[in-house]
Amino acid sequence: MVELDHTFTTGKPTDYNEAAILDLDRVIPCVEGGSVIERTSPEQAKAEIVVKMGAMSMTFRGTVDVAEHDADAHRVVLRVKSKDSGGQGYANADVAFTLNDGGGAIHTSAQISGKAASMGEGVVQTVLDALVNDFTQKLATI
Amino acid sequence: MRLGPDNGTLTVRTGKAGAASKAGHNLRMEVGSWTATLDLEARSLELSADSRSFRVIDGSGGVMPLGDEEKAAIPQTIDEEVLKGTPIEFRSTAMTVNGSHVDVEGELELAGERRPLAFALDLDGGHIKGAARIKQTEWGMKPYSALFGTLKVADEVQIEVDARSSDDG
Repeated sequence: MVELDHTFTTGKPTDYNEAAILDLDRVIPCVEGGSVIERTSPEQAKAEIVVKMGAMSMTFRGTVDVAEHDADAHRVVLRVKSKDSGGQGYANADVAFTLNDGGGAIHTSAQISGKAASMGEGVVQTVLDALVNDFTQKLATI
Repeated sequence: MRLGPDNGTLTVRTGKAGAASKAGHNLRMEVGSWTATLDLEARSLELSADSRSFRVIDGSGGVMPLGDEEKAAIPQTIDEEVLKGTPIEFRSTAMTVNGSHVDVEGELELAGERRPLAFALDLDGGHIKGAARIKQTEWGMKPYSALFGTLKVADEVQIEVDARSSDDG
């Protein structure tokens, strides 16, 4: 299990930030290589992420759910469940957002298996940290 | 001596760097279109190579084996994002011949920048072998990176020539 903490800045009010995170059509493409395949409900989307490693790439397909939404605490948990389309591995994560005026905080709990995990937990943590950092940059303009 | 793909190979070897370097491959590539003229009497070496003619021979290391599709994609990436079709030219400025050993100094034009480069060649009859190491950053290049900068092509790249010429030059 990899646990990561990040913050992001949007310069927008809390309600705007909360609505943006709940809008899966907007938030999923903020992950580099991420796209919505199908909206199955307001709280769920089928999605994929293509992780490019130079000429090679790994594609993870699965679902993104709004697993928790506490409007009073301005807290949203997005649950990602995905499988490596080219192998036996999976990438699952609970991404907890706590929104505030101007941005928010993100706590990521991720579990990775298969080829991606064979790089070692330290490497996976470094790559995920870089991925979420990139995500926070894109959230700045959501 | 005239050298080229008909009587030799020009090989480019790249390594990998960064926190996620385990995911990357050490590459051995050959340049498909190049020509060189070595004139020992005139103490001169000139080489010209087409940066669009790289071909991946093999890749070692990495989490997954390098498939044919990836091998084909790498030269495309080199063309579109790294060398962008710019010429590769070397011209010697000085040469010292000591028996079968030849020290060469000159200038290499790479990615639009011209920088000094020195290397040695070994001659055995018509067999010519040599290697040069360059750092991409010294030619103003930013080594290619992926995975949000955690996987990079190593700055240092090795270039090798191995050729046989029936022409005694």
